[in-house]
Amino acid sequence: MDGVSEGDSSSDGGGGGGETSLQPVEPGYRHVLRARLLLLWLPLVIAGLVFDNGMLADTPFYGAVSVAVPLVAILVVILAPDRIYRRLRYGLTDRLLQVVRGWLFHTDTIVPFVRVQHLDVTRGPLDKTFGTATLVVHTAGTRNSIVTVPGLAPGRAAEIRDIIREHIRTDFE
Amino acid sequence: MSPDDRAVGEAERLHPLFLISGLGTSLRGMAGGYAFIAYLAVSGQTWTALVAAVLLLAFLVGSLFVYWTRFEFRVGSSEIRIDSGIFSRTHRSIPFDRIQDVDISQGPLARLVGIAKVKFETGGSSAPGRDEGVLHAIPLERAEELRALVRARRSAGGEAAPTAVEIQQLPVFAMNLGRVLLAGVFNFSLALFAGLIGATETFGEVLGFDPLSREFWLGLLNAGDPIADYILAHRVAAAVAGAALLVLIGLATGIVRTVLREYGFRLDRTEVGLRRRRGLLTRTDVTLPARRAQAAIVGTGPLREPFGWRDLRLQSLASDEGGGGDHVLAPLARDAEVGTILAELGWRPLSPAIDWKRVSSAYVWILALGLAPLLLVAALAALEAPSFALAAAVIVGLLVIRWRGWRRTLYALDDDRLLIRSGWWRRRTVVLPKARIQSIDLTESFVSRWFGVAGLAFGVAGGSGFSAHVIPAVPRESARALRRQLLVLGS
Repeated sequence: MDGVSEGDSSSDGGGGGGETSLQPVEPGYRHVLRARLLLLWLPLVIAGLVFDNGMLADTPFYGAVSVAVPLVAILVVILAPDRIYRRLRYGLTDRLLQVVRGWLFHTDTIVPFVRVQHLDVTRGPLDKTFGTATLVVHTAGTRNSIVTVPGLAPGRAAEIRDIIREHIRTDFE
Repeated sequence: MSPDDRAVGEAERLHPLFLISGLGTSLRGMAGGYAFIAYLAVSGQTWTALVAAVLLLAFLVGSLFVYWTRFEFRVGSSEIRIDSGIFSRTHRSIPFDRIQDVDISQGPLARLVGIAKVKFETGGSSAPGRDEGVLHAIPLERAEELRALVRARRSAGGEAAPTAVEIQQLPVFAMNLGRVLLAGVFNFSLALFAGLIGATETFGEVLGFDPLSREFWLGLLNAGDPIADYILAHRVAAAVAGAALLVLIGLATGIVRTVLREYGFRLDRTEVGLRRRRGLLTRTDVTLPARRAQAAIVGTGPLREPFGWRDLRLQSLASDEGGGGDHVLAPLARDAEVGTILAELGWRPLSPAIDWKRVSSAYVWILALGLAPLLLVAALAALEAPSFALAAAVIVGLLVIRWRGWRRTLYALDDDRLLIRSGWWRRRTVVLPKARIQSIDLTESFVSRWFGVAGLAFGVAGGSGFSAHVIPAVPRESARALRRQLLVLGS
């Protein structure tokens, strides 16, 4: 099972190895993102209000933080999830998995199935609430040892996991 | 089949001298204890400090002794079992099939009395510092027996008797003392140099100059009147002497460190790969199975390259002794020797007729764009306060280094492998077989998008986390095409 060092066995399967046709994840993932951002920004807003009223009360800047931080928080919570969701795409061919995300810092990751070491499907409380799941793909690489595909429908995540698992098995035969 | 059904050999113990050699390791690991004792001593409670020191020593010796009595290992027909632990016992069994190889190392004391530390290399990716199977002190002969046993099991499925380990007596690569000394000269450490300059800040008077003080430079630059000339002459003499001293210390440290580590460097061919022996005081004996090699890194530097010297390292699944990521295969070697070693591993040598492609000049421009505001601020500030000129010079220096680095950042597709060349100061040529690429990232940012370039980053197993293999700035379409080619042939 020394999959890393002996990973050079080839698995023919056509597919060309090129770019895949990319598809979006579940729309419900936007709500997951929104809830997550809310949980991140809520303490910041509270801290900002406390800081402003406690420390800056006697300075000419009094009030600026109380307005600015909630404003940024509201903008982020409203705008960011849609943008992140729109930029997040994943694709499968019969040999590889592709995950594309981000615009400001754009990454486009490709993992050949035969390189996958093991697979997780995880569902946190937010995922359960909004009906999504995250597929976690572990490779042996030091960089990129964990590649995640968030926001999948649980059935779809399991399906992809089974597709990839099939390839891991055939590689060792 | 439960472990008890297997024919498990007789229980063996570590060599009693482990009590002494282990004590050194334990003593080194007690930094907190020393701080506490030092605090007691400094705060005037000398007696308490003494008692604490004695208690600590007694505790260490006692726990080592208990550890020793509770540590047993057995060599069975198909596995090695290690039982250890004082309160919580661990019974570890390592099947021979999973042992990639056996590393043997000996410290100075261990060499005197003929004991060795044995480490079983398994494929597991255990975190650094967490040993999977280590026997800290057993007789050297026993260590070599174990290694022969493991090799025999691996090569012949547990049937064959131990065979001769080396196929050929002539080393693949060896370094004589002259070569080791030369490697030490090139090992002159700039980091150490910087550290020493930092130390002169504190102990500057000893060296007679302090390059970081403003008066030093003012004194140098405001020459003219006789008194200043007099001071200047002495300053210059002192500065030259001080600098020479620093260079000497740097050289000596580099040479001593290198000789200690690389003395008697020798690579031999074995059935599975290469065997490396080196070290003056601590002698290590490590086997590098060819199958586990992930990438080869040929390094050189601005000082070594004109003389045609290279070093060769191997990125492997196992980490090298001493926590370093890559295995050193040759600290200082000629191109031909590097080619020989690579050929031993079954890799083609680098051919000179490779169609190298240069990365986009955006690699320089993106950094220039990022640093331009800083440079502007520093330049404006320098008009007011001259010391900011230094900051501006540093920024310009960074850009020049990046520009020099850009001219040396090249990549090429060489049949079934990818070659990446990079760096001006640390010049590296990475040989990365396509089959070893675990994943490929294509990254763009809002700045690189203006230039129409993308970076490629390759996930490769093993190595230290900081040595990611990256092609920094390639026109977007070429990057996509390159990735397509790598993936088609790679898997």
